[in-house]
Amino acid sequence: MTRFILRRLAGSGLVLLGLSLVTFALARVVPSNPAAIYIGPKARPEDIARVTQELGLDRPLPVQYLTYMGDMLTGNWGTSIGTKRPVLEEIFGRLPATLELIGAAMLLAVPLGILLGVLSARWQRRPPDLVVRVVSIVGVSIPAFWLGLLLQVVFFRTLGLLPLTGRVDADLRFTSPIVEVTGLYLVDTLLAGNWTALRDVAWHLVLPAVTLAAYPIGLIARMTRASMLEAIGQDYVRAARAAGIRESLITYRLALKNALIPVTTVVGLTLAYSLTGTFFVEVVFNWPGLGTFAVKGLLNLDYPVVMGITLFGAIAYVLINLAVDLAQSWLDPRTRLA
Amino acid sequence: MAVEVLRPVVDLPRAGILRRIRRAIMTDPLALAGVAVIVLLAALAVFGPWIAPYPEQGAGQSNVPARMLPPSLEHPFGTDGLGRDMLSRVIVGARPAVAVSLLVVGLAMLIGVPLGAIAGYRRGRLDALIMRVTDLFLAFPPLLLAMVIVAALGPGLEHAALALAISWWPWYARLARGTATSLRERSFVEAARSIGVGDLTILRRHVIPNLLTPILVQATIDIGTVILAAGSLAFLGLGASPPTPDWGLMVAEGRTYILDQWWLSAFPGSAIFVVVLAFNVVGDLLLDVLDPRGTR
Repeated sequence: MTRFILRRLAGSGLVLLGLSLVTFALARVVPSNPAAIYIGPKARPEDIARVTQELGLDRPLPVQYLTYMGDMLTGNWGTSIGTKRPVLEEIFGRLPATLELIGAAMLLAVPLGILLGVLSARWQRRPPDLVVRVVSIVGVSIPAFWLGLLLQVVFFRTLGLLPLTGRVDADLRFTSPIVEVTGLYLVDTLLAGNWTALRDVAWHLVLPAVTLAAYPIGLIARMTRASMLEAIGQDYVRAARAAGIRESLITYRLALKNALIPVTTVVGLTLAYSLTGTFFVEVVFNWPGLGTFAVKGLLNLDYPVVMGITLFGAIAYVLINLAVDLAQSWLDPRTRLA
Repeated sequence: MAVEVLRPVVDLPRAGILRRIRRAIMTDPLALAGVAVIVLLAALAVFGPWIAPYPEQGAGQSNVPARMLPPSLEHPFGTDGLGRDMLSRVIVGARPAVAVSLLVVGLAMLIGVPLGAIAGYRRGRLDALIMRVTDLFLAFPPLLLAMVIVAALGPGLEHAALALAISWWPWYARLARGTATSLRERSFVEAARSIGVGDLTILRRHVIPNLLTPILVQATIDIGTVILAAGSLAFLGLGASPPTPDWGLMVAEGRTYILDQWWLSAFPGSAIFVVVLAFNVVGDLLLDVLDPRGTR
């Protein structure tokens, strides 16, 4: 087990090294003149020359790469051209909003997806199965940005039930302000016993979380169904059935436990999907998280932000994959040999 | 000649598979509907400008007196802020959607298949190198690499297609490598090698033609996903630019008016949704028929 973890960690380290090369290349090689982009459209030649020297763009590429690596490792991820604040500070400032959104979506999607998948497999080719299959294929096919807009029309405009955009009501600042401790508003308001704010935060979270959860629910339900059907066909299940063990016990105790091993992979996959899925949901719901920040940076060619977000996203992705592999090797010792 | 006897044989049991696919489609109403949608999409992509009620508006010409009309008999999908008939816009939009997805899948195969075939056939250090490169491309969260590339190149349909292809090819490379690895051990490849046929000729004549079937199946299934990905990029402003009748762009343009003129975003978005749904339904069925375990 320890050897497996060490080997897997070394692999992740190599991938991260490669990723830093790619992001470096994207920022230094792709734009023809990074200094001109850095200053903006009204750059004078002497400004460009000065900034070129300041940013070290006149030095050889390998030297630039080493400097870049050093900066990344020491937490100096550059300054946003748009907000004039350090990129890493911006990222960590907005991270809680995104984490809360992704967390809520996954808390919704994982149990619901598994439940739907189990029901579907238990009643294979009967009405529940058909309903679940339609729900799951719609979930993986629907464009998240469009689903978000539809939910806004229905639940804000037509029914008047839920707020349109944002994380909290603007008035809340005056009536019952949130004291930020963790930055996760649900946790902060709960700890402070601020029930008015908690209610408001929860209401604001519903539509974005449902929108972000649609794809994970569909994918997890599909995978759970397939995995359950495979488990139900195994010899140990048939032996249990022959021994007269109750069908419900077989489904939930025996088959489900083994079926959940491949499901952990899919949960990791959907979590990774949420890293960029949240971009679209945040744009639609004006969510003050990493997604809106990243999209703004991409559209304005804010290079330090683009590089920072790319590297941050890639690191998160590598870590998620690592966590999935470790979880899987813990659940299923056979995979440690791979 | 000896080489003629060694003509490539098809790896999959092709006989009967087409018949099985056809029977599976015919007996599944959902799959039948999916096929119908795909056929309709292809027809609209080719004949769209002749089918659309207001083709010139579909292409971008404005008709300001008729702006922001809700859906009616004359304009079933309503009109947009420039008075353009949304039904025509959606119909004409089929062509860019199909063109982009074919371009992406084609380019990705063009890069991925030869690299994967070489990796699987040659094995060794070259294989390890190519596979590590695919690892690197697959180490980004989905679409992030494409977003960054479009941002760097500037918006535009061609740039979005290029960016998507660059982030898509590793999948085909891996698929091709898997099949090439097993083909390498097959007797017709070994026979060709033993009579001194060069590696490149073996790859071109024997390996690549035989691994195309699974790749083409995957590519067909992928078209829906690519349409969704391209639409998503366009929605963020990282794809087609106005006045291209791109579905994702139309959803983005209608977003400002979503509460009062909901039809501006609703109909183009439903076009993406229905097309992706159709490809997923048909893709599921194809995998069902081709998957011997039958667990899907």
